Amino acid sequence: MFYAQLFVNGLFQGLVIGLAALSITLVFGIARFPNAATGDSMTLGAYAALAAHKASGSFIVAGLGAASATGIVLLLAYWSVFRKLAGRSVVALLVASIGIAFLLRAVLGVAFGHGQQVFQIPLARPYIFGGLRILPLDLQMALVALVTLIAVFGLLYLTAIGRQMRAVADNRDLARVSGIRPGRVMVALWLLAGAVAGIAGMMLGMKTIVTPEFGWEMLLPAFTAAILGGIGSPVGAVVAGLILGAMQEFSTPFVGFTYKIAIAFLIMLAVLLVRPRGLFGRVEGVR
Amino acid sequence: MTTNRRQFIGTLGAASALIAAPSVLRAQPQGVFRIGALCPVTGAGAPYGSGMQKMITAAAEIVNAAGGAAGRKIEVVSEDTQTSPQAGVLAAKKLIDVNKVQAILGTWSSGVSLAVVPLTNDANIILMNTSGAPALSVPPANAKGLSYRFQATNDRFGRAFAEICAKEGFKRPATMAFNNASGIGNTEGFRKAWEAKGNKVVANVVYEPNQPSYRSELQKVLAANPDVIVTGSYLSDTTIIMREWFQSGQPVKWIIPGWAANPDLVKATGPEVVEGVISVDSISNETAPSFKAYAEVYEKATGQSGQSNIFSAMTWDMVHALALAIEAAGSTETAAINAKIREVSNPEGTKVYSYAEGKEALKKGKINFEGASSVLDFDQYGDVSPSFGVFFIEGGKLNRRYVVNI
Repeated sequence: MFYAQLFVNGLFQGLVIGLAALSITLVFGIARFPNAATGDSMTLGAYAALAAHKASGSFIVAGLGAASATGIVLLLAYWSVFRKLAGRSVVALLVASIGIAFLLRAVLGVAFGHGQQVFQIPLARPYIFGGLRILPLDLQMALVALVTLIAVFGLLYLTAIGRQMRAVADNRDLARVSGIRPGRVMVALWLLAGAVAGIAGMMLGMKTIVTPEFGWEMLLPAFTAAILGGIGSPVGAVVAGLILGAMQEFSTPFVGFTYKIAIAFLIMLAVLLVRPRGLFGRVEGVR
Repeated sequence: MTTNRRQFIGTLGAASALIAAPSVLRAQPQGVFRIGALCPVTGAGAPYGSGMQKMITAAAEIVNAAGGAAGRKIEVVSEDTQTSPQAGVLAAKKLIDVNKVQAILGTWSSGVSLAVVPLTNDANIILMNTSGAPALSVPPANAKGLSYRFQATNDRFGRAFAEICAKEGFKRPATMAFNNASGIGNTEGFRKAWEAKGNKVVANVVYEPNQPSYRSELQKVLAANPDVIVTGSYLSDTTIIMREWFQSGQPVKWIIPGWAANPDLVKATGPEVVEGVISVDSISNETAPSFKAYAEVYEKATGQSGQSNIFSAMTWDMVHALALAIEAAGSTETAAINAKIREVSNPEGTKVYSYAEGKEALKKGKINFEGASSVLDFDQYGDVSPSFGVFFIEGGKLNRRYVVNI
């Protein structure tokens, strides 16, 4: 039961990592660079959600606020920076995204101060299912994540713009020849990637505390999950996030709490050695 | 592309300014003693950092208003450690190499102080810190005896925790420590002192910073059925831990250092969660005139009570002790100043509470500066021994029940 509880704890942590990894992998699949501003976009989402929650008292409004604010800001970043650098090397785009990350963090620091802020959520005792303790808040978070995932996958697989996004991810030139306008696809991509990162930030903020640095610190696990899941694979990112979260917590009785972070990287190393394209990735192919 | 004359001259001007700038910056003007105010303005130390920095500037102004030290004005250059060793080292390098400061004051959090102290040692200047790690007392960190600590060591905190545990009648304590020199210093100090009393600690957990959840860590500690959990933690992780513990529903008491269990924690978790938590902090020298003078300035500068930030009382004392030592040495050489710091702060000598008073009394003989943060008597390691206040959080307020001396 002790281990089952650890496993469940890990799954709920993995949801946040998975959503952040989903945002990274979407950008990587379509815009083809690792977006280092993802972490700070999460921070932005958390602050937007905080403000929306304070103003309205509703978590649905908070979620919408987080998703739209982050989506819009990332879209602005695309228009003002990433679009101008399109066609340059991956490194140029990566460094530019680090710059955006610093800018976001600095602006948030000045606007909201560096002290910690918290969501005022009534704390509740856990439900107990056959000895497993599960927090109501975690269940709500899981629901939010589920809704977000359904929305993202619905968009990707059931709509015209989603099909176009996947086409661009698959083969940019072929997509263009077939009459798909990359501009529209990019706008949709950044709105979507931003919204997902914003929701992830809100979830992390609700579970923990909100400071201007807190999203940046989630970047490494999120990148790990994106690689583990197979870069460019949305399903892979989410599954890998869950695996990472669960394995980290599950390992603690054996390696201690200090080294659980290293476990994530050990898993990633092992997977990359055996299956370099990641769990769900294809060789050079991205969906 | 052609370059017109205006552009050319502009470029030329900019280039020569660039070349000239370092020498402007590097020159240590005559009649000035420059100090670096290296405080945690952002990061985990943010609740304290800007207050600490303001008090360094304010105290320097008071020294200058009294005619300076050894005929020199004190000039303050401020930097932010971001409560991170990497950023702290970069800032310290800049203070030493670019600004040519002759002392660095105000580092907070042991990780930062331990990272900065090799630089100040190499530059042969004094470092005054507010950190707790025991390693700061001894070589290699304090190999030259140039490092002074204005806060109680974590070891002393640990001993105070053990005293409180015994006094409150706890039998089965467990510990949780943030994985750095300070956090582990607290809980190890506690464990040693507690075991020296012939008792046992039922569980020890060391956890990593910046985790989205500490539920598994809590699960392990709570599985040992402790009656109290003693922590070496900071505000942000404590906030998460307290919320998750409350949701677990298992009753247990907490003893938490004061920099984590403070009014900000109550605000973050709500009073119900932290009801009955015991917060332990070194307490200022509250009855001394020096504290009154400090508190007045602090309230004017920040709008908060002087008791709300123990660390700014420490940085206030740093400038005073340093300036008095400079005055007593009549020199700005590090070795000469260093030889005088204990002499102007420790007993034997006229007790003084302000800079002007001390400067005057120095003309007649030895002085003993009594600080705002403590009576400020340094032992052979450059450590002070403040008293500890034991606060109980009741109805969202921190009420001091008693004081522990070790």
